[in-house]
Amino acid sequence: MLNLLKDMWLLFGRLFPFPTKPGLRRAGNPGRYSPVLVTCNFELTVRKVLQTLKRGGIDAWLLVAPTKGINVWCAAGGGHFTTDTVVSIIKTSGIKNLVDHRELILPQLSAVGVNIWALRERTGWKPRFGPVYIEHMAAYLQYEGKPPEKELRRVGFPLRDRFVMGTNLGFNSLLFFALPFLIGSIWVSGLWWKSIPLLFLLAVLNSVLVFWLPGKPGVQKGGALGLIVSAAFVLLSQTIWAMGPWETLGWMGWIILLATYLGYDLPSWSPLWRADVKELLLGVRNTRVEVIQGQCIGCGLCEIVCPAGVFELDSNDRKSMVVRLDACQACGACIENCPKEAIVNNFRSGVCSCPTCFVINSIKSTNKDKLATGKT
Amino acid sequence: MKLLEQTPSKYDRGMRILTLGRIDRIKHEVASRWVEPGHHVLEVGCGTGTLAALMCARGAKVVGIDISEEMLVEARKNVPETELIHMTATEIDRLGTSRFDRIVATLSFSELSEDELDLVLHLSSGLLKPGGKLVVADEVPPRRRWARLLACLVRWPLAAVTLLLTQNTTRSLKKAEESFESAGFEIVCRKDYLLGTLSLIVAERKQC
Repeated sequence: MLNLLKDMWLLFGRLFPFPTKPGLRRAGNPGRYSPVLVTCNFELTVRKVLQTLKRGGIDAWLLVAPTKGINVWCAAGGGHFTTDTVVSIIKTSGIKNLVDHRELILPQLSAVGVNIWALRERTGWKPRFGPVYIEHMAAYLQYEGKPPEKELRRVGFPLRDRFVMGTNLGFNSLLFFALPFLIGSIWVSGLWWKSIPLLFLLAVLNSVLVFWLPGKPGVQKGGALGLIVSAAFVLLSQTIWAMGPWETLGWMGWIILLATYLGYDLPSWSPLWRADVKELLLGVRNTRVEVIQGQCIGCGLCEIVCPAGVFELDSNDRKSMVVRLDACQACGACIENCPKEAIVNNFRSGVCSCPTCFVINSIKSTNKDKLATGKT
Repeated sequence: MKLLEQTPSKYDRGMRILTLGRIDRIKHEVASRWVEPGHHVLEVGCGTGTLAALMCARGAKVVGIDISEEMLVEARKNVPETELIHMTATEIDRLGTSRFDRIVATLSFSELSEDELDLVLHLSSGLLKPGGKLVVADEVPPRRRWARLLACLVRWPLAAVTLLLTQNTTRSLKKAEESFESAGFEIVCRKDYLLGTLSLIVAERKQC
């Protein structure tokens, strides 16, 4: 029973950290030449990684880093999965006595917080970034030492993930709105119990239908969904439920409002869109990333770490070029890992920009700006 | 303490409020009672350098390490005479062997995971000169049952707010005594503050 409750929480409450003990795990029966992988200590991730490796028949050492129970990407963006974290797990796990090689495979999305060059210098290990999804680890290991194929380096948002994230969006919003809904029921009878399924329905629809809704991700897609669902509601309210005109109008407005809010929040649950407040409200995109050609040495690491395929190496001079700026999510992985500081941007590197982190990040940024300019 | 850590200039004020001013008193005690002029001191998690400044004023030679570059920027302004290094606590073995008379850590060991703490204590043992001491001040679970209950009641709402704001929680140093013991340290002095939620622990290597 307790396990079922825990699994339900892990499924719906992904926003919240859920730590498992950091340390060394064995996948299968690893030996002295087996690969050494690193992951976060979010329980669901560790469980999934071990299951997937087992299913794929991969024998490996798994270093579960102390990332405060947060998933790889968010932990890396929020400063909990950094070079320091990996240095620490290498030392505490005692892995160097268990293997006869020094190759380390990091999850690609940890590149937002982990600087591969500094890690190499501080530990003597040879770290490289593996695929985004653990399901691709078997394919990745086949190309020994080579960077993963392009398709293994991109994040996606398939139907199953959209459904799961939709339910999470619903659950998370419910935590925020449960009390206001309850207070609202004093004036509007049934607001509480009718709004909860409505909230879940709109959250899941927002997420599942996101590619087919018109407009830009954010309030536009959310608003469009609100209009569609409220139109369906009018049809039902007039034919089956026989509602009065004012009541119908009230619920229509409520549906549009909720759907718009959920649409606004969805990008922070998606791996594809930047959760930037200005962008989500006004549709203004002002992310800028440039490669200073004179400084670029063509190592190609920006291309490897970018989960959105923003960079490509020029086939002639092997310098990096920005080819898909539109897809950039401003995660900062390229900036963190460029050995020559050849990438410039107008956002700060290694910072999660989802609305949940928005308040903290604004405090942080004011402070960092002060530090940068030497003012106190 | 993540939210506070992210804003170094507010860190000291925040810690002062959270510990009801006790942290300043503890730092003064550390510097005046446990550090002697001429001592070589390693401070693990030096933060903005408030304790390092006190120890320097006492005539000690201080090496400070911290995981946060932002904190070190602030510390370099406050204690320019101190050697400040960006490094994790688990890397202190890079600093040499039998080099320090004191290893000092205030409110930093509680940020470490269990394994990290064990390793750091083990490495500290190798870094201390014979007769050297480890001086640790940190949040701890109170020893008396009623105080533990009271601390829990205060802690839960505080932890909930911190979690919402920072997706992080504050932690206390659990099983401090066992960890010290198993790393070969012997506690020579322990002083509790704030109903036993804050402790100053001084330990030294067991004589073989």
